[in-house]
Amino acid sequence: MTDTIVCIKQVAEVEDADIVLNDDKTGVLKDDLVMGINEWDSYALEEAIRIKESSGGKVVALSLGDEDCQDILRRALAMGADEVVHIDKNGFEGSDAVGVARGLASVIGKRHFDLLLTGVQGSDDGWGQVGIILAEILDLPFASLVVRLENHEDHLTVYRELESNTQQIVELPLPGVVTIQTGINIPRYVSIMGIRRTRNLPIAGTGAGQLGLMNSEIGTEGSCVESRQLFIPSDEANAEMLEGTLSEVCEKALSIIREKGGTD
Amino acid sequence: MIPQRELFWNIQGVWIFYLLVSVSILIFAAGMLARVLSWARGGRGLKYSFSLNCLSDLLLDVFLGRRIFRNDPGAGTSHLLVLWGFLGLFAGTSMLMVDHYLYHCLTGLSYLLFSFLMELFGLMLISGLCWGLVRRFIFKIGRLEKRWADLVVPLWLLVAALSGFLLEGSRMAAQEPAWGGWSSAGLLTSYLWGGHDAALSSYRIIWWAHALVSLGLIAALPFTKLFHMLASPTALYMSALPEEAFLPEQTVKAGQALSKRALVFLDACTRCGRCTEVCPSAASGEDFSPRRFLLSARKREAVNYGTLPAAFLFGKRDVPAESGESIYNRIWNCTTCGACADACPAGISTIEVINCIRSEAIEDGTDVPQLLAKTLESLTKHDNPWGAHRKKRFEWSQGLSVPSISGANPPDGLCYFAGCTTSFDTRAQMIARSFVSILDQAGVNFFCIGKDEPCCGDIARRVGEEGLFQFQMENCVELFERWDIRDLVTSSPHCFNSFKNDYPLYMSRDDSQKAGSFRVRHYTQLLKELLEQGKIRFERSIPSRVTFHDPCYLGRYNNLFDAPREIISAIPGVEMVEMEHYGADSLCCGGGGGRMWQEDMTCKVTISERRIAEADAAGAQMVITACPLCLITLEDAVKTAGLEQTLRVLDLNELILLAMGKREK
Amino acid sequence: MKDILVLAEHMRGGLREITYELLDAANQLAGENGLLSTALLLCGNAQGMPDDLGPFCDKVLVMEHPELENYNADPYCKALERVISLKRPFLTLIGHTANGMDLIPSISYRLGIPAVTDCLEIVLKGDRLECMRQIYGGKIFERIRLKNSDQYMLSLRPGASAGRGLAGKEAELEHVPPPDWGGLRGRRFISLYEPEIDDVDISTADVLVSVGRGIGKPENIGVVKDLVEALGAVLSCSRPVADKGWLPKSRQVGTSGKTVKPKVYVALGISGAYQHQEGMKNAGTIIAVNKDPRAPIFKFAHYGIVADIMKAVPLLKELLDKN
Repeated sequence: MTDTIVCIKQVAEVEDADIVLNDDKTGVLKDDLVMGINEWDSYALEEAIRIKESSGGKVVALSLGDEDCQDILRRALAMGADEVVHIDKNGFEGSDAVGVARGLASVIGKRHFDLLLTGVQGSDDGWGQVGIILAEILDLPFASLVVRLENHEDHLTVYRELESNTQQIVELPLPGVVTIQTGINIPRYVSIMGIRRTRNLPIAGTGAGQLGLMNSEIGTEGSCVESRQLFIPSDEANAEMLEGTLSEVCEKALSIIREKGGTD
Repeated sequence: MIPQRELFWNIQGVWIFYLLVSVSILIFAAGMLARVLSWARGGRGLKYSFSLNCLSDLLLDVFLGRRIFRNDPGAGTSHLLVLWGFLGLFAGTSMLMVDHYLYHCLTGLSYLLFSFLMELFGLMLISGLCWGLVRRFIFKIGRLEKRWADLVVPLWLLVAALSGFLLEGSRMAAQEPAWGGWSSAGLLTSYLWGGHDAALSSYRIIWWAHALVSLGLIAALPFTKLFHMLASPTALYMSALPEEAFLPEQTVKAGQALSKRALVFLDACTRCGRCTEVCPSAASGEDFSPRRFLLSARKREAVNYGTLPAAFLFGKRDVPAESGESIYNRIWNCTTCGACADACPAGISTIEVINCIRSEAIEDGTDVPQLLAKTLESLTKHDNPWGAHRKKRFEWSQGLSVPSISGANPPDGLCYFAGCTTSFDTRAQMIARSFVSILDQAGVNFFCIGKDEPCCGDIARRVGEEGLFQFQMENCVELFERWDIRDLVTSSPHCFNSFKNDYPLYMSRDDSQKAGSFRVRHYTQLLKELLEQGKIRFERSIPSRVTFHDPCYLGRYNNLFDAPREIISAIPGVEMVEMEHYGADSLCCGGGGGRMWQEDMTCKVTISERRIAEADAAGAQMVITACPLCLITLEDAVKTAGLEQTLRVLDLNELILLAMGKREK
Repeated sequence: MKDILVLAEHMRGGLREITYELLDAANQLAGENGLLSTALLLCGNAQGMPDDLGPFCDKVLVMEHPELENYNADPYCKALERVISLKRPFLTLIGHTANGMDLIPSISYRLGIPAVTDCLEIVLKGDRLECMRQIYGGKIFERIRLKNSDQYMLSLRPGASAGRGLAGKEAELEHVPPPDWGGLRGRRFISLYEPEIDDVDISTADVLVSVGRGIGKPENIGVVKDLVEALGAVLSCSRPVADKGWLPKSRQVGTSGKTVKPKVYVALGISGAYQHQEGMKNAGTIIAVNKDPRAPIFKFAHYGIVADIMKAVPLLKELLDKN
């Protein structure tokens, strides 16, 4: 039996979208953007559910965000999570990774669990820190960038992804913390009906005040960042852009390949 | 001697017979009950209703075997012989019982007629059975399987019938009745026996043998293919009943995914293989056949939810070993074209069964093909399955000044619902652009919804995501009500079918919504009207051999075949040719059932290429379609088949515009 | 004097390229601000590595202990904690590698030192530190200014710095005694593991044709395969394609896949995210085809074509067949 806690984050999906910055260039305008679960976290959530399915135990999902993130918590419930907790973003705006981790830890620290999972990083900020800082706050062993996980009840054998197609096999005693890398599994499809059925299930809510966190620990005050300026990189391409009709362009490309590639 | 029959003439130990009968009937009843009760386990219900039309259709199909004659008169005839032979003999046996226990009516002339008819029915049964066996095992007709069970059951019946004649023969040899001429077959058979005594002793043996074989058959009936005698008519009747909408509150728990009707379908299947013959997926060499799927589903029901003996008897060994492969892998090939449902003599809609299991797979979530999952997620987030941003939905109308819904003025006139594929796919956008040009020329007052046009949800329904479908439906209906849209015309037959047939189903169960408060037409219907009213005129001649590809959702699903043809034929210079499969027999293009948004199911000649080959074989220079998915898939097929020089694929709108002397860039 | 501490990364007895990149960045900052650059080597057996480091920094600190033989966050964190507490460097630079990502959050939190990960550029103006990094998958850049602090910790993206820049220093060598290993949390290194590749080795190919997310669906890969065959090239891919299983992981080019240096690299529908760039940036000639003219790959490709790859690829094959 392995009780798992998963931290999930809702992010703006920017793949096909045009991003517009706000007026003072400190943030992105989210009106036209579609929100969804952070890609790494969806793998972590799926892994948590699989652990529950094979070893038994409970799954608790947490999310720190505004009230929209209840969508991803409902998704977690639909996938099979036993309990979900929403930590309201109020007070946490402008937090750095430590601030976010403190918020999550204040909820996690009060609970019993065997395994804590997070995604490696968020697709928006890409810090890659929260999961490991949680491990520090909770004084737990951890392993990051895990692409394969084997549960042995009192310990895990995990495969960490290194560079150049190499992996590192690590033994991690439980309770412990693992940050999950993409590709570890295939997250299941969650049907609309499945989500609708969770309509009446409770989502526990809490916030900075209730958790007794002080401004000096979280938010802009608690952050190590003084200021952030965003900018969209210039469109300038350094490549020599081939011009002409598609046929002409393809001919040119082929001659380049032949010339430089030394193929027959 | 008065012509009559003494039932237990010269038979001792009749009590044994009664015992055997009781046992046989008990087993029969238990088996029948068990199977019928298993239907009740089904999840979704039906609106049970009675209709005289349905009943008369049913009677024609059951007693005349109308559907069995389709495309195979040999099958129809042999089945009719077997059916009537069997029913006749059954009626005859009942008459004998009435005669023996109630009222001695079979005497004199009535008996002679009775005897004559019995022989006739017996001969019908035997000849039908023999013909069936010859077709299956000697002519080796492709779709007919050649398993032991397919040999044993007809043989069993044959033995019962033949033993009946032998019984009659030996009895006549023993009795030497004067009226033998009325039972000529029996008379002939009686010559097998030399003397009276030999005949009598034979008679006794044959009597018991006949009894055992026949009673055994009765007892075994519910456990063999013969059960279709109850299941198939039930399936036929139920297939005509209107479906009940799937309520979101109904949990699709394991074992509940199949509707009651689907469970009946599983039992009604006689493995005749007509579905597989017409299935586009199977014909293209894909690893799918409707028959094999139905039998897998049947096996799964029996193994998971029946008792083990039931599993054994109901065909655990029927289906080729699938070694634990999930049935979820077998359901994504179906394009929902409907050819199988059309072809099935038992009225089975394999599509419905597939849809039920797709719902189950979707709810489970772990075995959903990845690309499909992505498509459904795209539909949820962006209101279209193409992954394109909502904002771009109306971009197809650039340069055309198409009126659309705006905050200020409430829309007036006909609403043109373009649909997702027509709005986003660059090739299919030509359908919309051509159509609005035609409407403009014809002076039709219309508008589009514009960039807020939602997805009708059809694809969600086809792949089993009922919840998403209902979500989309609610969006659409709310939009229609908000803008008081009552008259729609669509590009896609899929949207058309959804609005026309699926929406009322769901809307009517919710009293607050007005069921069917809007009218919907497919554009071919509208264009035909415009042509008849003279609002469309063909100025140019198009000297081409043209064939029309009937989209499944326009033709087979909604019986709309004529309008496009009438329009095409009205174009000067056009020579209309038909492909080998047209109208209700049309071959699917392969784009439906969610196939458009799935990984390629590897096979040599794709479904769409097969269709294009038919167009080529018919000598067509142009293939005209009336569906955006057909347009895209068939055009792709022309390219991959290398026929770009000889064949062109156009939507009907594009052809009309050409003939009107206009051109849409 | 304040110094900039660089954590040297090594594998199987040799220093990794990232170490030199970090030292180059450190030396630049040190030079501009009058600081010293120090390399820290945590290992089981230093062998020749301190000598390799010598020309590239002002000081080399070495801590040798069997516990540090193979990377393991537990002892490494403790060791680093020890060194930083002892030496109090102004700035600690770690590579944003698999091991660096594993280490920096815990050590920075433990010591209460502000940390920023995955930086592309570092600017030190007096006491204030500013760094530039990417967000939203590279679509947006941010310039971060950190609050005042005695110490900072940053991780640098591999490839962000030029590499073996300054040479010609002569580092002072110092051995640091290991800390008391008590209180470790029990994480154990078992072994390194290279998943079996029973497939083509893409790193040996002369011409690679690579598909990315822009391919849309796996069935489209067939069209590319035809082209690859006609060219006599080898097929490879970016991470998203391998993650989804459309091509085996052995075909993946990038930091967590293979690093390749073919004569020609044709990138089809690949946006050019840095992890992929890392794996192929040293190819002889890079030709990128993408329908988004703003795709990052056009910034480092040699030739660019803005087109729908599903139109371009069949055309390429057709033209090839004709000749």
